[in-house]
Amino acid sequence: MADSYLGVRLDILRRSQNPDGGWSYYCGKQSWLEPTFYGALVLHGDPAADRAWSLLKSWQAPDGSWPPTYGAAVSGWGTALCLTLAHIRGDLDGSYLKGIAYLLKTAGTESELWRRALARLGFVDPGRNLNLKGWPWKEGTSSWVEPTAHTLIALKKAYAQLPAPELSERVRSGEALLLDVRCKDGGWNYGSPWALGEDQRSYPETTALALLGLQGRAEAGSSVDLAKSWLRDTPSSLARAWITVALRLHGATVPEALEPLTGQGSPDLMIVALEALGAQGGNYGLLKTEVAG
Amino acid sequence: MKIRRRDFFPLAGAGLLAGYAGWEGMRSRRNAPAGPSPVVVLKASSYSDDLAQRILQGVRECGLDVRDQRVLLKPNLVEFDPNTCINTDVSVVAAAYEVFKSLGAAEVVIGEGPGHRRDTYSLVEMARYRDISRFDDVFVDLNRDDVSPVQGFADRAEMYFPNTALRADLVVSLAKMKTHHWAGATLSMKNFFGLVPGSVYGWPKNELHHIGIPQSIVELTRIFRRSFAIVDGIVGMEGNGPIQGTPKPVGVLVMGHDLPAVDATCCRIMGIDPAKVEYLRMAADGNLGNVEESGIEQRGEKIREVQTDFKLIDSFKGLRLT
Repeated sequence: MADSYLGVRLDILRRSQNPDGGWSYYCGKQSWLEPTFYGALVLHGDPAADRAWSLLKSWQAPDGSWPPTYGAAVSGWGTALCLTLAHIRGDLDGSYLKGIAYLLKTAGTESELWRRALARLGFVDPGRNLNLKGWPWKEGTSSWVEPTAHTLIALKKAYAQLPAPELSERVRSGEALLLDVRCKDGGWNYGSPWALGEDQRSYPETTALALLGLQGRAEAGSSVDLAKSWLRDTPSSLARAWITVALRLHGATVPEALEPLTGQGSPDLMIVALEALGAQGGNYGLLKTEVAG
Repeated sequence: MKIRRRDFFPLAGAGLLAGYAGWEGMRSRRNAPAGPSPVVVLKASSYSDDLAQRILQGVRECGLDVRDQRVLLKPNLVEFDPNTCINTDVSVVAAAYEVFKSLGAAEVVIGEGPGHRRDTYSLVEMARYRDISRFDDVFVDLNRDDVSPVQGFADRAEMYFPNTALRADLVVSLAKMKTHHWAGATLSMKNFFGLVPGSVYGWPKNELHHIGIPQSIVELTRIFRRSFAIVDGIVGMEGNGPIQGTPKPVGVLVMGHDLPAVDATCCRIMGIDPAKVEYLRMAADGNLGNVEESGIEQRGEKIREVQTDFKLIDSFKGLRLT
């Protein structure tokens, strides 16, 4: 185990955990919510994961949201990750409910009022259905693929305990938004399939994340084959790791050992965690969701 | 959120840093260029020319002294497409690194925070930046660096920036000469979008779009006033830039410490009237730099000798220099 693909990565994560219980993106830096979330998922059941969750819990703001790192007065997308982790750990107390309420009241703000008005009157084509509500990276900005996908996972998990119509409605709208911004090539970029009359190409990493958010939706099926092709072709270790997780959760067959990338790779600890998460025997199943409502 | 004692000291340090940066910005605003700003235009016909020699000449012509300074080289690394020329070429980055090291800088780091793609190291690999000797030892992923707040950014109370950028004595904008489908042109000032951390604001850095692209460009220029520009115009991009445009050989490097003056000069080279580019107008109004030709001391090549009209998309045809 220790020398296996998974074992090597677990060892790196255990050794690189910061004294406060979190993980940084790169060794020796401050703890950030995102790599700490993935570290805690990968090591779920291990005391290291408990320390990580204790740290993240201490970061929650009074409005139920989470900042991306301690002390940063910017709330937004990381909230969904923490609520997913809270659900996985069965920590469904008042803080959890507050966090869910925060996600339900938060929605992307699509550009300025005058642009929205022009789009509704048909004078400009915004390239997306502005009636669909997704989630922003940061409160007060537009909806994008990645925060929407993370929030869909959190809310679908919450639905088992909180089968509220408002929650299932937001899930439906969020899923519809993801499908609405799918690129012509069948994948997703960050959320702009079209700009100034030109189709935009999709990216492997964001396609994987959209697929995570669309678990259980038949319409996502056609994009799974594209993700499979990227698993062979992308030079990005981050994209390969996220695609592996997404494909496994969509029931697709993933090679046990991928061809090594030709480059030098990345020292990003979050990629190490994602590779461990999607590995044979990894904890990718923790991100499994059911259809809400 | 409770602040524990052990957390207070780093936060206090960050606050001091932020306060200093804000104060520096205000001081710089009051010390707007009093006289003409030198901008150097040097010919370089290809990326295999001796670019280090050109950059050294430009730096010297501008009287820049970087001895004992911490220098951050900020290239423009956005996406990678082998069929076009989106990014600052690796040979320009490598040459700049060599020059600033040779000039006695205490530290030279290369840093970038790409705005669309999550895997920074995959991008640097594809753009061949890792061909630069000991690249991994001197590179900082600005999307994931430690951050500190700076007070006041357009209408926002504060904005977070990478500590590597905040503590740099000099930020060198290693920009690419390109058209931009929202801003008109992306040059040394717009290149500072990559100083905004994705780990806080996401991919894309949509906060800047909501603040307003011209406003954000100007604010970034105000905050990072201790700067120098080197624009890679050896092969630029015209048409639907900054990503989907087509290569445009120009054969120049444009350099200077007054970023609006450098960008205004690049615009003139590209056949764009800088007075019609909103962020340059705002920078001039805010006394951030010289944009009018009379406020720029042109050195090296004359603009008319290197000027070549860049194709503009329909919505920016009105920017054409007449």
